Amino acid sequence: MEKINLGVIGLGFIGKVHLRNCLNLKSVRVVAAADSSKKALNYARNFGVKQLFTDYNELLKLKDLDAVIIALPTHLHAECAIKAMEEGKHVFLEKPIARNVEEGRKIVSASKKNCVKFMVGYPSRFVPEFINLKNQMESGILGDIQLAYGVNIAAGPFFHRAESTIPRPVPEWWLNKQLTGGGVLVDLGCHMINLLRWYFGEVTDVKALLGYRFNFDFEDYATCIMNFEFGTSAVVNVGWFSQNTVVGVELFGTMSNARAYLSPSSKVVTAIKLLMGKTPKFFIPYLNEISHFVNYVKIDGNCENRLSGQDALRDLEIIAKAYKNQIE
Amino acid sequence: MVECKTRDVDSIKRAAREALKLIDHSLHKVEKIVIKPNMCYYWDWSTGQTTDPLFVAALISLFREEISPDVKISIVESDASAMKCKYAFKYLGYEKLAKDCNVDLVNLSTVEAEKAAVRVADEVFEFMIPKIIREADLCVNAPKMKYMSFTKISAALKNIYGCNPYPKKFEYHSKLDKVIVALNKVMPFDLHVLDGLTVCGSKTLRLGLVMASQDPVAIDAVAAKIMGVNPKSVAHLMLAEKEGLGKTSFVIKGFDVDYFRKRFPKRSLSEKVITLGYTVACKLGLDKRLV
Repeated sequence: MEKINLGVIGLGFIGKVHLRNCLNLKSVRVVAAADSSKKALNYARNFGVKQLFTDYNELLKLKDLDAVIIALPTHLHAECAIKAMEEGKHVFLEKPIARNVEEGRKIVSASKKNCVKFMVGYPSRFVPEFINLKNQMESGILGDIQLAYGVNIAAGPFFHRAESTIPRPVPEWWLNKQLTGGGVLVDLGCHMINLLRWYFGEVTDVKALLGYRFNFDFEDYATCIMNFEFGTSAVVNVGWFSQNTVVGVELFGTMSNARAYLSPSSKVVTAIKLLMGKTPKFFIPYLNEISHFVNYVKIDGNCENRLSGQDALRDLEIIAKAYKNQIE
Repeated sequence: MVECKTRDVDSIKRAAREALKLIDHSLHKVEKIVIKPNMCYYWDWSTGQTTDPLFVAALISLFREEISPDVKISIVESDASAMKCKYAFKYLGYEKLAKDCNVDLVNLSTVEAEKAAVRVADEVFEFMIPKIIREADLCVNAPKMKYMSFTKISAALKNIYGCNPYPKKFEYHSKLDKVIVALNKVMPFDLHVLDGLTVCGSKTLRLGLVMASQDPVAIDAVAAKIMGVNPKSVAHLMLAEKEGLGKTSFVIKGFDVDYFRKRFPKRSLSEKVITLGYTVACKLGLDKRLV
């Protein structure tokens, strides 16, 4: 397969990031896009996408389509991913895999049943600084990692993207627990849990302290305490309350320690790069994960998939357990 | 202008009472009061972008003490392009405030309103005016002071823009200055008490300022000076003065402008250049190529 024909379903913020990254990949042909908003479809049209649909079912019927990127609100993941798999499309699905374990299991099972390749988007595993931490850990230079700390603090649904002259409202589904499956623990916690599992193996025990600063029925900050199979213990802090994003990991080993904090990208530099059609720093992990997915789809037979559906499902199981084991 | 060093209802109430005394504003017996805080997006008081619910709680307590414990008080705001009151009231702490202080929370986009026309310069604007504002005996504006890319500053006059019940406010952006003035003409507020406790300039800072005036143009001119902006360069301020909404000349009572101006986190030259570049880029439509 020289080039894969790809469709993008959902053109919200992350959907647009994926679309623009795909346009920069030589091995990808973006043949179609779907979104319920005509304005979002116009965005794709401006970047040369020819086949545009307000109903993703129409997109899935395209015969020449090899794979789809699904960047829809969480409550639509299961239905859309399963339909895509039944149509024989390989699927890249945005995290979290689904709003609950049951839905997640159905998606994983559909991918197996229909023999399609399936990957869930977790850009943290493609961040060069976090890959470097893993390399340091595996080289033995840090000794045995006893403690780890992960943090992911952002504005979440309370963030207003003010780049445009027309202010964009916060998507309402994000403020509805029934549609998201939870609060910040699902949205940002899954990134950290997934990353730490990549470092330390399976979680054997998890407890969580949940906070409600903004008076909603979902947690807007949380502390998770986890034990891993090879003896590492970790604390993860996640929050949706700050205009100042912090994403980082610290590892404390018997020989040394190491840390990686992502430096925020300058909004001005990001805007200029986007206007020039170049890849801003913020897009790079997303570009790397899509490249990984494309290679995974292109190579026949089994090859490494850094982020299987099973992996993402496990993250959701741990989050479900954390909700259950709350620290009062 | 009064300084309030601590963030608690009693201290803020003391400062507001003093500020009203300085401007010789006596609170007469009224039945219905409307308070319009500044709510924007979903940024709470700690960011300096929105009116502190404790500030509003202090005003409520002051009015109940000075006017009557039974006075009916409503806190009003309207839906906007990027903000829905049903979330903002909860998120910004106003739902709790309404419950604690026994006041009504009113989304102006959902209440009865009457059409009204108003002329500004050579243009006539039509708006729906919420009945609750028209029928209030005392309309109190409780704005913030902050920089804004399209109008340079946002303070008392700009806060009344949020009384327009029409949610798609971005449609007014091409003639924002005129629309701000028109809304202030058609919905004149009696009293403006600015919440400068926490302010957002180049960064967020506890400034501890409480400022009151009956003149929205004068209070905005002072706010502009504190923020290091020449009031004469603020188009909506000059237009408001021309339309008779108030005077940019003012007499300061209480603390001096310089006392707060020195501490206000003013924008650096590079920030001003970035804002200008951004505004120009938006006007050229380049923002549509961002994500």
